[in-house]
Amino acid sequence: MSEAIRAENLVKTFGSVTALNGVSMRVERGETLGILGDNGAGKSTLIKILTGYHQPDAGQVYVDGKPVRLGSVDEARALGIECVYQDLALVNGLSIYHNMFLNRELLWGGPLKLLDHRAMRRRAAAALDEIGVAIPSVELEVGQLSGGQRQAIAVARAVSSNARILLLDEPLAAMGAREARLIIDLIDRLRGRGDIAIVMIAHNYAQTLEICDRVMLVQHGEVTFESHAATTSAEELLDIVRREYRAARAG
Amino acid sequence: MAQGGSRRGVASRAYEFLLRPEASVIVVSVALVIYFEIANQNFLTNANVQTVSQFVAAPVIIACGEIMLLICREIDLSVGQVFALAPFIMENVNDIGVPVPLAILAALAVCALIGLVIGLITIGLSVPSFITTLGMLFLITGLTLTISRGYPANTAGGPWLTGIMGEWAYSEIVWALAIVAIMHVVLRHTRWGLHTIAIGGNITAAAEAGIAINRIKIGNFVLTSTLGGLTGLLEAFRVGSIDPLAGGSNIMFLGVASGVIGGTAIAGGAGTIIGGLVGGIMLGVMQDGFTLQGINAFTFDIIIGAAILIAMVANIHLARLRSHAPRGGAR
Repeated sequence: MSEAIRAENLVKTFGSVTALNGVSMRVERGETLGILGDNGAGKSTLIKILTGYHQPDAGQVYVDGKPVRLGSVDEARALGIECVYQDLALVNGLSIYHNMFLNRELLWGGPLKLLDHRAMRRRAAAALDEIGVAIPSVELEVGQLSGGQRQAIAVARAVSSNARILLLDEPLAAMGAREARLIIDLIDRLRGRGDIAIVMIAHNYAQTLEICDRVMLVQHGEVTFESHAATTSAEELLDIVRREYRAARAG
Repeated sequence: MAQGGSRRGVASRAYEFLLRPEASVIVVSVALVIYFEIANQNFLTNANVQTVSQFVAAPVIIACGEIMLLICREIDLSVGQVFALAPFIMENVNDIGVPVPLAILAALAVCALIGLVIGLITIGLSVPSFITTLGMLFLITGLTLTISRGYPANTAGGPWLTGIMGEWAYSEIVWALAIVAIMHVVLRHTRWGLHTIAIGGNITAAAEAGIAINRIKIGNFVLTSTLGGLTGLLEAFRVGSIDPLAGGSNIMFLGVASGVIGGTAIAGGAGTIIGGLVGGIMLGVMQDGFTLQGINAFTFDIIIGAAILIAMVANIHLARLRSHAPRGGAR
C-alpha cells in the first residue's frame, strides 16, 4: 500500500472560533478511514480543506507524498480528490447517464458539438458494471431511484471521473438496512481495487467500525483517538467521547 | 428515449406515451379540431388553416425562449414589450439610410442587448427575474412610445423580403417551425440544453459539476429577448404596419401558457420545446374555433381562460403521475 493523502497539523480559525487545532491524518490507497465526531467537532472543516473549499491557516497537505496547495475545488479535483455528498450531487430530472457525465459530456458531430447520448449510455452502463452497481437501465431518471442507488450513482460518477481519493460525507445517513448494505458492499469493492483511498465522515460508531480499516475521533478541533477498527469497540469510542465531554464541562 | 426498452409491452409503452404532456395535448387538440369542424364546416378550409397558423406562430416562437428560461428557473415578463419595440428600431435605423435587412439585424441586436441587460441585472444584483423583467416591461413600453411618439407606422422593404418576413400567408408558421426544430436540438442534444435542465433541477449539483450557471442563464435571457424581437418583426411585416402597443403582456402570457400546457415545469428542471409547439397549437385552435363559432367576445375570454387553467392544472398532475411511474426515461 502506498500513501494517498496526508495532512499535517492543519489549523483553521473562523474569527474567534478555532475549527481545527493541529489535525493530522493519513490514508493509504486501498484503505478506508472513518472520521467520527459530533457536529461542530471539525469534521466538515477538515473535509472542506481536503476538497479545496477552505484553505488552512497553517499546516500542509500531501498527495502521493508531495506537498500540494489545494486552492480551489477544481485544483483538488485535478489531483484526484472528490467529495460525494448524498443529496447535493445529482439532478433528479435527468437520467442516470446524463448525471454521470454532467459537464464532461461526450460529443459528436464535429463543429455542431451534439451530445453523444449513445456513447454516454454505453460508457455509464460499463462504469456501473465495473464497480458492481446493478441498475435496470441507465436511462432511468435519478429521481426514481432510492437513496442508496443515488449514492451509488454519485460514487460511480466520482470513480469514473478518475477520483482516486474519495471523501464520502455521511454516506449512510437516513438509509434503511438494505440500502446501507448496498453502499457498504460498494465501499468494500472499491477498497478491493487497491487504487482508491476512501475517507468517510460518519455518526454511527458500530457501522463505521464495520466498514473502515481505521477510525479517527475528532473533538473540538483535535484528534482525540485513532486506531485500527479491528482492535476498537464502539464502547471504547463512546467512553472516550464521554470522558472528553465531562472534561470540557469541568474545564 | 425509447431505446433499451424493447422488453416493455405495447400497453405500458402506450400508457407511458399518453402520460407525456405533449401526447395528451395532441389528443385534446385533435378532439377540438374534430369538434370545430363538425360544429362549423369552415374550420378546415385553406383560409382558416392559414388563420390558425398565424394565431399559433407568435406564441410558439415566444414559448421557445420562455421554456428555456422556465427550465432554468427564470422568466421574462418583458418579452411582449420587446416584441413591440423591435419594429420601431428597424424603422428608425432604416430611416437614416440603412438597408432593411441590416436594419432588421440592428433591431435584433438591440433586443439581444436588452436580454443581456436583464440577465446582468438579474444575476449581478441577485434580483429575481420576475422583478427585473417587470421593471423592464414598463421601461420598454415607455421607450417604444417615446421612439414612436405614440403613432403607428408602415413597414418598409421590398416584396421579396416582406414575403419571407411574414407577408406570405404561411411564412410566420414556417419561421416558427424552423425555430422549434433548432431549439429542440439545442435543448435535447447540446450541452447548453442539458445544463439548462441541470441548473433548474438542482443548482447546487450543477455548480458542483462546474457548470457555468450565470453564462447559461444570461444566454437564455438574450435568446428570449431576441426571439421576442424577431416575432415582433414577423408580425409587423405580416400586418404591414407597426403598432407601439402591439404584443404586450398578452403575447408573453400566451407564450408562457403554451409552454406550461405542453408540460414545462414552472418550478424548473423539466420541459420540452415540442410541448410548447403543441401547447401553442391547442391555444390557436381554441382561439380560432371559438371565434368561428361566433361566441360573444366577453364569454370568449372566460372560456379561453378556463381552458388554459384546466390544461395547466391537468399537466401538473400528469407530471406527478409520471414521476411515480415505475419505469421511464421519458421526460
